[in-house]
Amino acid sequence: MAGLFDYTPAVVLLPFLSFLIAVGVAISGRDLLPKGGAVPGIAATAGSFLLSVALAVAVAGGEVYNETVYAWAGGAVPGTEGLELTFGVLIDPLSALMLVIVTLVALLVHVFSLGYMNDEGETGLPRYYAGLGLFTASMLGFVVADNLLMAFVFFELVGLCSYLLIGFHFREPGPPSAAKKAFLVTRFGDYFFLVGVVAVLATFGTGQFAGPESFPVFAEEALHGEHAVNTFLGLGEETWFTVVGLLVLGGVIGKSAQFPLQTWLPDAMEGPTPVSALIHAATMVAAGVYLVARMYGFYAVSPTALGVIALVGGFTALFAGTMGIVKRELKQVLAYSTISQYGYMMLALGAGGYVAATFHLLTHAFFKALLFLGAGSVIIAMHHNENMWDMGGLKGRMPVTYYSFLAGSLALAGIFPFAGFWSKDEILYETLVHGLGGQPLLLVGYVFGLLAVPVTAFYTFRMVFLTFHGDARTEQASSPEPVGWNVKGPLAVLGVLAAGAGVVNLAPVRVLTGAHVDFLHGWLDAGFAELTVHHYEEIDPYSSAYIGGEATTVLVGAAVSLGLALLGLALAYKLYAVPTPTEHTAKLGSVRDLLYDNYYQDEYQVFLARRVVLPLARAADTFDRSVVDGAVDATSSVSLFSGSRIRRIQTGVVSNYAALLTLGLTVLLVLFGVLGGWLL
Amino acid sequence: MVPAQYYLVLSAAIFCIGVFGLLTRRNALLFLMSVELMLNAANVNLVAFSLYWGNVTGQTFSLFTMALAAAEVAVGIGIILVLYRNFKDVDVTEATTMRW
Amino acid sequence: MSDAGSRPRLKLGGHLVPGLAAVALFAVLAAVFLRASFGEAAGFEEGASITASIGYAMFNVDTGAVSGAVVPAEGFVVAFVLIAVVLDVAIDGAVFLAKRDEGEGGGGVLADGGREIRDRLRGGDD
Repeated sequence: MAGLFDYTPAVVLLPFLSFLIAVGVAISGRDLLPKGGAVPGIAATAGSFLLSVALAVAVAGGEVYNETVYAWAGGAVPGTEGLELTFGVLIDPLSALMLVIVTLVALLVHVFSLGYMNDEGETGLPRYYAGLGLFTASMLGFVVADNLLMAFVFFELVGLCSYLLIGFHFREPGPPSAAKKAFLVTRFGDYFFLVGVVAVLATFGTGQFAGPESFPVFAEEALHGEHAVNTFLGLGEETWFTVVGLLVLGGVIGKSAQFPLQTWLPDAMEGPTPVSALIHAATMVAAGVYLVARMYGFYAVSPTALGVIALVGGFTALFAGTMGIVKRELKQVLAYSTISQYGYMMLALGAGGYVAATFHLLTHAFFKALLFLGAGSVIIAMHHNENMWDMGGLKGRMPVTYYSFLAGSLALAGIFPFAGFWSKDEILYETLVHGLGGQPLLLVGYVFGLLAVPVTAFYTFRMVFLTFHGDARTEQASSPEPVGWNVKGPLAVLGVLAAGAGVVNLAPVRVLTGAHVDFLHGWLDAGFAELTVHHYEEIDPYSSAYIGGEATTVLVGAAVSLGLALLGLALAYKLYAVPTPTEHTAKLGSVRDLLYDNYYQDEYQVFLARRVVLPLARAADTFDRSVVDGAVDATSSVSLFSGSRIRRIQTGVVSNYAALLTLGLTVLLVLFGVLGGWLL
Repeated sequence: MVPAQYYLVLSAAIFCIGVFGLLTRRNALLFLMSVELMLNAANVNLVAFSLYWGNVTGQTFSLFTMALAAAEVAVGIGIILVLYRNFKDVDVTEATTMRW
Repeated sequence: MSDAGSRPRLKLGGHLVPGLAAVALFAVLAAVFLRASFGEAAGFEEGASITASIGYAMFNVDTGAVSGAVVPAEGFVVAFVLIAVVLDVAIDGAVFLAKRDEGEGGGGVLADGGREIRDRLRGGDD
């Protein structure tokens, strides 16, 4: 099967090829492709999906792959073996799993786009499919990246594609602004990431993720004094690693929309709904969390960085959830739930729950893609009206959408036995046991995460009840436009996955019965020795403690989180599952405005930009114009002035030239004479 | 035999007389004559060193220099004619249009 | 002093000042040459014909086959041919330059530093 891995780059190149085809068609200006370019995109992502599945099967057979494909720059670094900048491929259980998720979601999104974009008569379809192709290709390139610099390159490409796709409807006022915001906010985080990449390369001389020569391994050895690394700013090794880790984390916080850089994501809802599904479920937002998981060995040796990740994640989970409960638009609710769910994943990673985070990444990809595509289906039916208060009663009129959306909602809310329950429960369980093991910081994160559970359940079912239950509140809602197979098909596939994906890691069942049903745990424990779960557990700073035994802890934790989720669900049911629901936000009083305005996050960021950054930029501009340009202008004015004077010797009179020549020759001869020792 | 220094000083003297004429005269025809002097100063050197090395290469070369001088005068006269035609004078200090 | 205008005479004055540069150059050159020391000149072989030797050198004649003493030299036939061409070109060039313009701007060389064109464009002297 070694030959199979040689085709790994094709997983990335196939969507890229579809991008090229779509671009070529767009440039030609003619309608060369049926379905506006969708067919090459679907074919390419389907090919990538099949190849990814084949790779995953090979990985399941115990094979892994870590090869450098192309070295694009290299050079000697004094005192080291030299630095090479490469593109390479790393296929291990984590990346194989992620490849399957990304290609599957991308495939379904492409199919769904047929219904959402083509059937709705959108223009500029080749541009749309070109964007989707490049987006998918970038994300796949990021997933298979074998070193940090390559990851950074594709990370940036992902950001670029999100800009292109969010701003797809560029003639309307909202999307271009949202696209710019997404680009700038994530770029702000990526700036730290870039510094972090350089810091990693300067510290370890390599950016490899896997192998004995990889930087997580070097970091671990350095802390044991077995490997010398360069540290900077006079910091000790552990402190420096924490600094580097936090720098890289800047990019993660930007891309995965964690507090305080989450503001771009709700605005990104301006993009077409399938794009939102792709961004939230599989590509852009997932990239941040995946990056932390990819270099988890590096974070695991830095307790401070882990603590920061856990706190940021836990806080974001609750914080974003509270904003979601008052939104009127369907996609806005989903946007805040995405931020919240990625907060959970960060919490898990920070709390040492590597498997839990990956598990939640997996289940979330399915149920969030499902919810977005379901929302897209509703939006088609509602003629692009997203206001939930204009819907209602869609349950009976679009049953496929309703039941799949319900499955996704139950998963999102964490109701037993849907996928989200298992993954969220494992996150909370890991956080709890590690917090009890002497990490009060994690207990704070656990409380955040626990409080977010009923909030999540509440806003999720508020959304479901408002959209599908009760009486139709507008004419459109009473006679929704029917949707085609290309919408229902992806929904059905994802609905099944959202309901059943939890079986890949039934950790609580293993604890209670002893049966080895935590397949994901075993899956991630294979492959490269330094990238396995038990290795991470060895090097991370956490130990576990239980409330009266492991089984009891599992049961108590699950019962508490399920109870809270049901509480939120019940509240939503009581308030909104009535024939004519009314807005209850007035009861929140002054908090309502706070939530509507997203805790004034945008306002304070604009304030920062206007009052702090803008004057700084002005000062820099003034400095540039006066001092820097002044120096340059002064230099050139010297040349200009002396030139205007010296040119006077060009009199045009040949006698003068001859005199100058003669004098010059004389002076030269005298000079040589003096140098030759005349006067000595 | 006459030491080589004397030839050299003679040639330098002729050359500098040529330069002197070049620097102080304004008539283009006198320029040509001055240049002729300078060329022949070089010839003196060539012939002197021909004797010094016992080799007639220098002498042969001086013949070529004379031929070159003839060519130079031919072109020079032509230039002077054009100069006269354009400036109605053969004063070289008049032709100052090629300046800053 | 009645015939002062027709007789050549030494003109002294400020226009001779640039000539001082030539004098200075001569002083430096003379200083150089007089300080330099040359060995005894080799001279030509007794009884050798200089003129004949120049002739042989000019046309690359094989001096081994010539009777009598010959002063050594390199061959110059290529230079000879080249100088012939140069002279020819010089003559042609002189004729070309000396030829009068056939009417306004027709033929000839505008070797006036662009003054004529400038005047034509601007219509006047500056």
